Amino acid sequence: MPDIWGIASILAKLGLYIGFAGSTGLVIVSYLYSGFVAPISLGIKRQARALAWLALAATVVGFLLRGAALTGGVDGMVDPEMLGLLWQTSVGDAFVYRLIGAVLILVGLSIPHFGLWIALLGGTVALWSFAQIGHVPEQESIGIQLLLLLHLLCVAFWVGIFSPLRSLALMPEHLTDAAGLGHRFGQAAALIVPTLIVAGLWMAWLLVGNLQGLLFTGYGQALLFKVLLVGLLLILAAANKLRFVPSMQSGDAKAARHLARSIEVEAIVVLVVLATTATLTSVLTLPS
Amino acid sequence: MKKFITLALMAALPSGVLAHSKIEETTPADGATITTVPAEIGLNFSKDIRLTRIQMAHEEHLAVSLDLGDQTNFGQEFTIPLPSNGTGTYVIEWRGLGEDGHAMQGEFSFTVE
Repeated sequence: MPDIWGIASILAKLGLYIGFAGSTGLVIVSYLYSGFVAPISLGIKRQARALAWLALAATVVGFLLRGAALTGGVDGMVDPEMLGLLWQTSVGDAFVYRLIGAVLILVGLSIPHFGLWIALLGGTVALWSFAQIGHVPEQESIGIQLLLLLHLLCVAFWVGIFSPLRSLALMPEHLTDAAGLGHRFGQAAALIVPTLIVAGLWMAWLLVGNLQGLLFTGYGQALLFKVLLVGLLLILAAANKLRFVPSMQSGDAKAARHLARSIEVEAIVVLVVLATTATLTSVLTLPS
Repeated sequence: MKKFITLALMAALPSGVLAHSKIEETTPADGATITTVPAEIGLNFSKDIRLTRIQMAHEEHLAVSLDLGDQTNFGQEFTIPLPSNGTGTYVIEWRGLGEDGHAMQGEFSFTVE
């Protein structure tokens, strides 16, 4: 088991994932589906801002926790030698990308109209930071880094639809908007979700390299656990797309409540997927 | 629901499978029994690492940090002076930073009879 600093780092990383995927996803959804989400656009902005603040806090705390991991005590969080050491490695690079990304998201969200583009740029910069550190850059391939960015943008888009779609589905007066948003997202998801899965599996293959590594190492097993959970998500997503959303389009308010409940379960499963990923990228070593 | 989340998060945290601590060899070897307290300990790693902290715990003394001296660069082989606490079991815990930015840690022990 990782020590207390390792566990705290995993939790900070989980905060990073939720903050950046959530805020970037909400920005993407606000831009792509502005017509449908207009009734809740203020709420979406508030949520995106809160998530960006979470990401910013997790960025700073995560960096300091790495200092603590180097000394085994809380003194490492403010030890200039340790923090300076981290600053010179890829940890420092990722820290800078994330700070810039979070600030751009926050600034973008406070500017009307073209601010969304600034926020989107910030989200992309922040997500790119994950390709600068950990197992992916060890492969020394720009292709695999771009693959990770694509994977993360798809994850953000998927995560970003949860809250707006759930909120609209729970407002009977906006049933038509909820049905329209669900339908349009379902169309996009038919492209996004396979891209996400193919990019994820391709990266897994490039990182692990063989079936033995996938089946008999902690890293491989954690990856398989993720795949299992994504399979569960796909079942829920299929129910949303094929059953609940068509019923909502026919004016069925009960289906909208089912959709909201289904999204809540999806969000919990995504949380477990992100927790697995935070562990995978923090304490598990790649099979040699 | 809370129970489900707790269980799911616990399942997501695999135990026992660590980590980026690829130490190749220590002197004395982990678990060794020797007759005299060595003047220094050695750590060999498979990849470059920057040692950041080494602590020595002895059954009759409080844990103390060992002096890294001028060994504050990235490297694979380190030799650290060891103060003598007489016979007993010595536990050495080390921490460091890999060149890829990963924090690394581990420990080994030996007994002086």
